[in-house]
Amino acid sequence: MTPRAETTVARTVAAPRGASWLETIAVHAVFALVVVFFLAPFVWLFTAAFDGRAQAYIRLPEQPTVDIFVRIFTEHDFARALGNSVLVAGATMLLDVVAVSLAGYSLSRLDLRFKSWITYAVLLLQTMPLSATMVPIYGLAQALGLRNSYLGLILIHAAIELPFLIWLMKGFFDGVPRYLEEAAWLDGRSKLRALIEIVLPVARNGIGVVAGLSFLAAWSEVLMMIILIDKQDLKTVPLAFYEVLRTRGGYTEVQYGLIAAMGVLYAVPVMAIFFATRRMMVRGLIATSRGL
Amino acid sequence: MARVEYENVSKRFPTQDRAAIDDFTLDVADGELLVLLGPSGCGKTTALRMLAGLEHPDSGDIRIDGKSVVGLEPKDRDVALVFQSYALYPHMSAKDNIRYPLRVKHMNEAERERRVGQVAEMLSLTALLERRPARLSGGEQQRVALARAIVRQPRVFLMDEPLSNLDAKLRTHTRTELKALQRQLGTTTVFVTHDQAEAMTLADRIAVMDRGRLLQLGTPDDLYLRPVNLFVAQFIGSPPMNILAAEVRDGALLAEGTWRLPLPRGIAAKSVSVGIRPEGIELDESSPDAQVGEVLVSEPLGSETIVDVKVGGALVKVRAAPQVRPDPGTRVHLRVDPSAIRLFDTASGSAIA
Repeated sequence: MTPRAETTVARTVAAPRGASWLETIAVHAVFALVVVFFLAPFVWLFTAAFDGRAQAYIRLPEQPTVDIFVRIFTEHDFARALGNSVLVAGATMLLDVVAVSLAGYSLSRLDLRFKSWITYAVLLLQTMPLSATMVPIYGLAQALGLRNSYLGLILIHAAIELPFLIWLMKGFFDGVPRYLEEAAWLDGRSKLRALIEIVLPVARNGIGVVAGLSFLAAWSEVLMMIILIDKQDLKTVPLAFYEVLRTRGGYTEVQYGLIAAMGVLYAVPVMAIFFATRRMMVRGLIATSRGL
Repeated sequence: MARVEYENVSKRFPTQDRAAIDDFTLDVADGELLVLLGPSGCGKTTALRMLAGLEHPDSGDIRIDGKSVVGLEPKDRDVALVFQSYALYPHMSAKDNIRYPLRVKHMNEAERERRVGQVAEMLSLTALLERRPARLSGGEQQRVALARAIVRQPRVFLMDEPLSNLDAKLRTHTRTELKALQRQLGTTTVFVTHDQAEAMTLADRIAVMDRGRLLQLGTPDDLYLRPVNLFVAQFIGSPPMNILAAEVRDGALLAEGTWRLPLPRGIAAKSVSVGIRPEGIELDESSPDAQVGEVLVSEPLGSETIVDVKVGGALVKVRAAPQVRPDPGTRVHLRVDPSAIRLFDTASGSAIA
């Protein structure tokens, strides 16, 4: 599976065989342009974070310094924001993995009445724009006492991504042969244990993708955090950004360096995790495009 | 150790207009190896899966050791199924695959290890135990699947075409081993296949099925020598039984308009189908009253030659000695052994008693 997947990727990237040098240059020029466009913000992020007088454009720091990083932890309590973000995104991920495993398996395997209706209804939920449901979600959270609580943020984050992830996971389960779980049943396992011990390990690439996407979505979501959290000790990383922008830390201009330093610490761990699990993620995503 | 009974079992899948299993009754004796044989779509696999608990009958009863298992979950039936695809757990080593059903039973570790070792020994898997299924050949995977079934010592073995994914040579070899193993263990076995040769060599008794119905149940000899209808006659045996259209005239049979055959006993019907096994016809050079035919082709098979002979409008296959190799176009005389003649009702296909 892996070698074939890799050659497929290689083939789409490499210039077509027999292309002239002019075409090769043109293709690479376009690639270079795209790369520059997407890489520029990161260049800014990393230069500005170490620049005591960072601006809104890219410039090399005159006197590189790590002072800004010290400041975000001492003056802005960034450790708490990071911790809160990790907690909320991590718990969202766990909740999503459990819910998506059960729901995806049900839609893939069980003989339900109106199953195709249910399946499409799930997808329909995903098309609902989040901002349109902002007011009722706020009201619900208020009524249920879920404002300013980790639980509220976790439940809502988990629910937001659920429809799409259920569809995704259903595709992975569809790819697991039925005879594997039948074999486990005959070996004496209940349906739930067969799911946990046989089907989930076989579909682990799918679980990996679901976990990754769920964590990322909760990690970078902003809107719900803004409407649900206004307590200082519950603030997450996006709220820390917001705070820096809003208060301007008592200065007259935007503290670009602070934002850049927070941005580095916000982006790097996630990129590191993705890089560490890239094989599984890529394999899973390729399987998805084939399965759906 | 168990006796298996199907009683008037019927099953229809919602997406099909014909019943998958139609009023199926069958009794499998304790320790017997029974083969369910039939073409694809005949219901043999459905019958097996109902015994496993993977499908549920619409009506009728299925019993193991006299107790109904209808409504029981697969896990509570104490039967082991070997799948056509083997269904090995891909994320576990061969050893963990074999050990899995014992782990489920919470057997203590020493006993577990002893049993796995014993079964691995029996199936020559000892050197392969640490490998994942993906690193095993088809034959090795098949043995691991068998080991996983055997290690549990279940009441009944169910086998769903377990040999069909092996190459021809390995298939014949495994067939022999499987039969010896089943004799040794003495476990009641229901074996599904579409391959009549496999059925003939393995079975104590064969149940031939077609279109969801049980057509005939009997020993391989019963089925070969006394098929109850044209379907069984043509399904069993390779090459299959020759079938000729014939008329009863003046106390004799007239096949294909010209070929006079002895009539075994008086029958009322005027037009019948005559069945003759290829070994029931002899190529004869001398007798002047024998039927004349023209050789189309000779197929030497080493131990015998199958000669295709054209008689009137029909093609007749004759089993001859290996050194007999008539050239195409040769005129030969055919003599039929009267005891080899079987008669069938042309309209219903049933054997005429």
